[in-house]
Amino acid sequence: MKINGVTIADTFAEAFTMRVARLVITGRTAKWAREAATKLTGFATSVIGCKCEAGIERELTPAETPDGRPGISVLFLTMDKASLPEQLIVRVGQTVLTCPTTACFDGLPDAPDRLAVGKALRVFGDGFQASKVIGGKRYWRLPVMEGEFLVEETFGMLKGVGGGNFLILAADADAALAAAEAAVAAMTGLPGVILPFPGGVVRSGSKVGSKRYKIMVATTNDPFDPTLRAITQTALPEGVNSVLEIVLDGTDAPSIEAAMRAGIPAACRPGVNTITAANFGGKLGPHHFHLRKILA
Amino acid sequence: MSDAVTLSLTAPPDHVLVADCIAADRFAALDGKEIAQLPVVHGGRTTKLGEFFKVRGGRSSVVRIEGDVPQVEAIGAGMAGGELTIDGSVGRDLGLAMSGGRIDVRGNAGDNAGGAPPGAARGMSGGEIIVRGNVGDEAGARMRRGMLAVTGDGGRGVGSGMIAGTVVVFGQTGPGTGRFLKRGSIVALASIERPATFRYACTYHPPHVGLLLRYLRSGVGVPVADRYIGGRYERYSGDLAELGKGEILQWVGE
Repeated sequence: MKINGVTIADTFAEAFTMRVARLVITGRTAKWAREAATKLTGFATSVIGCKCEAGIERELTPAETPDGRPGISVLFLTMDKASLPEQLIVRVGQTVLTCPTTACFDGLPDAPDRLAVGKALRVFGDGFQASKVIGGKRYWRLPVMEGEFLVEETFGMLKGVGGGNFLILAADADAALAAAEAAVAAMTGLPGVILPFPGGVVRSGSKVGSKRYKIMVATTNDPFDPTLRAITQTALPEGVNSVLEIVLDGTDAPSIEAAMRAGIPAACRPGVNTITAANFGGKLGPHHFHLRKILA
Repeated sequence: MSDAVTLSLTAPPDHVLVADCIAADRFAALDGKEIAQLPVVHGGRTTKLGEFFKVRGGRSSVVRIEGDVPQVEAIGAGMAGGELTIDGSVGRDLGLAMSGGRIDVRGNAGDNAGGAPPGAARGMSGGEIIVRGNVGDEAGARMRRGMLAVTGDGGRGVGSGMIAGTVVVFGQTGPGTGRFLKRGSIVALASIERPATFRYACTYHPPHVGLLLRYLRSGVGVPVADRYIGGRYERYSGDLAELGKGEILQWVGE
């Protein structure tokens, strides 16, 4: 299969089941909602080193938020049930609670699994906190120097999908970057999906484990490193001198498929040789995104 | 089972009619005949609900009372769920010690709406009461949890002895409002006679008030002007003769 002369490899992206929460952060202005969301989702690129993966899903208009103010929707993922509330409590407490004018609401109200995030954060109020039940939901009001921070008592948790991906194999670094930027632009704002890496793009795709260092759980993906072409079993076609990866996490597999369907064609630009994907032979992750099936 | 149970007044009571049997969750388990057999007290004598009301439908937690029933008291007393709508005014003790569901009154309500039975420590402990008119004295008295919204004026002692919960009054509020409040919020959108035992804290945009008023507007259908939703409120802590963790929030402008 080819799109705009770019080969679509006959392979699949292998992804894992993760636990996901959606947070709606509002602020007096979109700027302050974004400030909080940016801090909340900082250093959350990969569970390998960050213990969580997070990103901005999309901006919300005042009509879309519970309190009628501008907002940001954030997706937050961890590998297991227990670590999701742990990460959320620490991060919301340090980044959203601290940010002027913000409030924090649950974005998965129908999810039966509930995480007591606001309930845990309430103790910052040192006994001066108060709760309110509005429309059947409990909120906590934490007194802060600015006024009050409002946070929903519980947040919903679903089984999500982490590690959807595709690789852009290009003739040079500029072409790879331009293609990656085009793909990110096409996928940004799609519902149920985040791109957790910087600018949505990864330059350091990894393989599982290490050939040399036992302590390492992930090391450089040497078959796709162009500088190692001559000394490793390379996976790069002739003429490829730079590779960038797009990693996608989402609330479910269809959301990731939809984003890949938008992003891959956008990446098929001049200078791009092949679009392929990373997998582990289908043995590790239950979600397999076959590139050609998605694009057919 | 029907979509709703409708009660229509067929014989207006000569005296006060205590109809604490009328509760949406209770009707969900009863057919029309059983509902008509429920006991009421008329002028001190026990009789049946069907003597005064025509009952249509059954086995539904959506209940509607047609017309004005200002002589009927204790409607929704102890209600724990469902929706009860009254297309007119009601007597005292509306939603007495209720714990869940919603009561929506398209008229005025008498004294002690959402309040407590005589001698009881706690009044309403959950659910919502919407009064699209005025309420009498002691509305929301000793409320433990829940929400009472009044689009008209409140009488004397609104929210007195509240333990928690929220009372919103769109109109004027009488003297003694919030007296002996432990926790809980009284939101006053117009003038209020505040007890001297409340102390000014600050003027700010309370985020939960905007959320609450938006809920009343979009979720309940109460007209709420934007100036209240995004407005500034003076916060008074009190009652300082009690625990002092409650508040009166008085709207002061946009």
